[in-house]
Amino acid sequence: MKRRLLSMLLAAALTATVFAGCGREGTTDSSSAGSSTDTAAEADSDSGSDDSSAAADAGSGEGFEEGATIGISLPWLGTQNWKEAETMFTEELTAAGYTPLVQAADNKVPQQQQQIESMIQNGAKVIVVGPIDGTQLGAVLEEAKDAGVYVIGYDRLIENTEAVDGVVQFGSVRTGELQGQALLDGLKANKGDGPYNIELFGGGPADPNAPNFFTGAMSVLQPEIDAGNLVVVSGQTDFTQCATEDWDNKKAQSRMDSLLAGNYSDKEIDGVLSPNDGIARAIITSCEDAGQPIPVVTGLDAENESVSWVWEGKQYCTVAKPTQDLVAKTIEIINSLQAGNGMPTTDVTADNGKKEVNIYELDPVVVTKDNAKEVFADDEERMALLQ
Amino acid sequence: MKAIKQVLGDDLGKYTMVLALVALMVIFNIISGGRMMTPSNFQNLLSGNAYVLVLALGMLMVIVIGQIDLSVGSVAGFCGMVMAIAARDYNLPWFVAVLVALGIGLLVGAWNGFFLAKLGIPGFITTLGSMMAFRGAVIWVSQSISVPAPEELRFFGAGYLPEWGPNTGLNNSTLLLGIIGIAAYAYFQIKKYMHSGDITGTKDPVWIYAVRIAIVTAVIGYFTYLFGSGREGTSFPVPGLILLILVIVYYIITERTTFGRHVYAVGGNKNAAALSGVNVSRTYFLTMMNMSMLAAIASILFVGRATAAGPADGTSWEMDAIASVFIGGAAVSGGVGTVLATMVGGMVMAVLNNGLMLMGVGADKTQVIKGLVLLLAVTFDVYNKSAGRPSIIGRLFGSKEEAKGKESK
Repeated sequence: MKRRLLSMLLAAALTATVFAGCGREGTTDSSSAGSSTDTAAEADSDSGSDDSSAAADAGSGEGFEEGATIGISLPWLGTQNWKEAETMFTEELTAAGYTPLVQAADNKVPQQQQQIESMIQNGAKVIVVGPIDGTQLGAVLEEAKDAGVYVIGYDRLIENTEAVDGVVQFGSVRTGELQGQALLDGLKANKGDGPYNIELFGGGPADPNAPNFFTGAMSVLQPEIDAGNLVVVSGQTDFTQCATEDWDNKKAQSRMDSLLAGNYSDKEIDGVLSPNDGIARAIITSCEDAGQPIPVVTGLDAENESVSWVWEGKQYCTVAKPTQDLVAKTIEIINSLQAGNGMPTTDVTADNGKKEVNIYELDPVVVTKDNAKEVFADDEERMALLQ
Repeated sequence: MKAIKQVLGDDLGKYTMVLALVALMVIFNIISGGRMMTPSNFQNLLSGNAYVLVLALGMLMVIVIGQIDLSVGSVAGFCGMVMAIAARDYNLPWFVAVLVALGIGLLVGAWNGFFLAKLGIPGFITTLGSMMAFRGAVIWVSQSISVPAPEELRFFGAGYLPEWGPNTGLNNSTLLLGIIGIAAYAYFQIKKYMHSGDITGTKDPVWIYAVRIAIVTAVIGYFTYLFGSGREGTSFPVPGLILLILVIVYYIITERTTFGRHVYAVGGNKNAAALSGVNVSRTYFLTMMNMSMLAAIASILFVGRATAAGPADGTSWEMDAIASVFIGGAAVSGGVGTVLATMVGGMVMAVLNNGLMLMGVGADKTQVIKGLVLLLAVTFDVYNKSAGRPSIIGRLFGSKEEAKGKESK
């Protein structure tokens, strides 16, 4: 009898784990999203899907009903910009009267594919996708298209499929140009006269933005390298040589370690082109460990830690791509779709391998110690770092 | 209780996970407001998880021989990438590229098998090495950039069976598949009934077989309806069909062939198997080779669905496959585990993942829940099997006499 009881308990525990998870969801999500309407939103989504069929019956034609489910599929929450996007989308879509369904995929492509499918199941009218790998979502996005869902790429280009209506992103080549220019400015301001010894880093090769950043930066730096004002001591100037797999900071740090050990035993390094903040900090740490003076290092994303480092003068600059701007632009497009006005017009397009995709481009901002206070004037959290 | 046992067989323990699977489906269906048991969701469930289940088939055999293969994810990533590059840069037709992928799978399997079987290096170490080497190789050959795959592969990864013939309201290919399934099951049960009295002289009661056939007909019928009644142009998905064929093939291999018996014998007791004339090293070698070939098939399904091969493909797939096998009740020490139970184990994970996503639970929490379920499922199993205890189901329903009867077995 005792054993029977024990196994019943085990069985109960097994089921309980599963559903405790479900139960927990409501509370954790609402706290992380900062909205207490999560359960209400869930209830809404149910009635919302009923409405949708009713609306379709009524033959309302274009657009879709207010309160419709909007799916947001993010690659992961491992960096600050994605976490911010999660929070902002949840809050602002709720405020705009939609039912947001925001999910992140832990940087696993199959997980993201299945999440997008479950959003289609949940009756989403628009699915916003920040792809892990922009080329690997073809089949599922076509499923979304077949179900009449609008697909908007967020922050990264969606490639290799026709099933994408537009992409909202910061101009990635432009971002690279700004980084390259900032590196030059920083070297002139902080390291006296040239020629300067520099090294180059690129981002994760699977992210279609990464080569663009690098191309943009090189368009500024290459003429200076050719003129002899900049010297890439290691000689590694190809994107594939400089790329950082998965944007992984520790891989960048070990590459920097070996560059310094191999090439700088009798030289000082003056500057490093870094594609983002995490990698910038890894590079600076590596230089400190090697006993080098801190070089001029660029960055991207304006992560809190790097904003403090810029303020302290350890990292020369970062480039802010305010998540708020991206989210606001995306919601503007969703509003236009909801009202039945279709995708807004734009001049910029990009070839994704299957078609010319409309790009809604935003301009990033270079942040140095000098202009940090102006750039973050409206951003309480980051202003607090500039003390 | 006696009647249930007559229908399902004496060992009710093996139905624990089936019961858990059914419970998960029903409960998620209720919570999600009916979005779980829909044609499109089930089509997604199969096409989205076919690659893991294919890997689990091979992993089952590897675990049964008492080894583990950590390299399947990297190997799958490598095969998929080479296939995509072969088709794009060398202009090979898609089917040649597929053969190249399968060939690489076999070669890698032979490599793993060689170290394990001929040199006696433990499978864990051998495949850990391969895991690293082939992860690096994927990045090397691709230069870490995704490569679009030939269009035709879409059919294998995300395609549907064709529609033909009269309008039955269901997809006819799916319908045909369902009918074949029911007919085959009925045929084998009737044959079994005919032979049931061969030894004892008294035939089993007819109703037992009738009830079995009725249950299976109802289940297959329901799924035929579910898969066949989706939006036009959809059916039972092609990756699901490939999986189904593989399941049948591997069911036969493990249960009905000499090689299958050798696999269990080697896993149960290597020395005893060797003394009984089983070629242990050959069994090891073929099992590892088979595993990597299945990894290649998994990669074809995945790349077909993703429409491109990526440098990170295959990351931690081995873990999903291993989890499926253990949830399906295989023993860590080897020698125990079946193909069908492994498929149920894999589906438990898949349904859990799918259901939590439908509810909008994030990947982080889903991962926590899946981890706990794996641990509990195996704990459950180990506890129940230790000292020949009867299964959980047996205990919940069974009388003391039955429990004792089992213990004495």
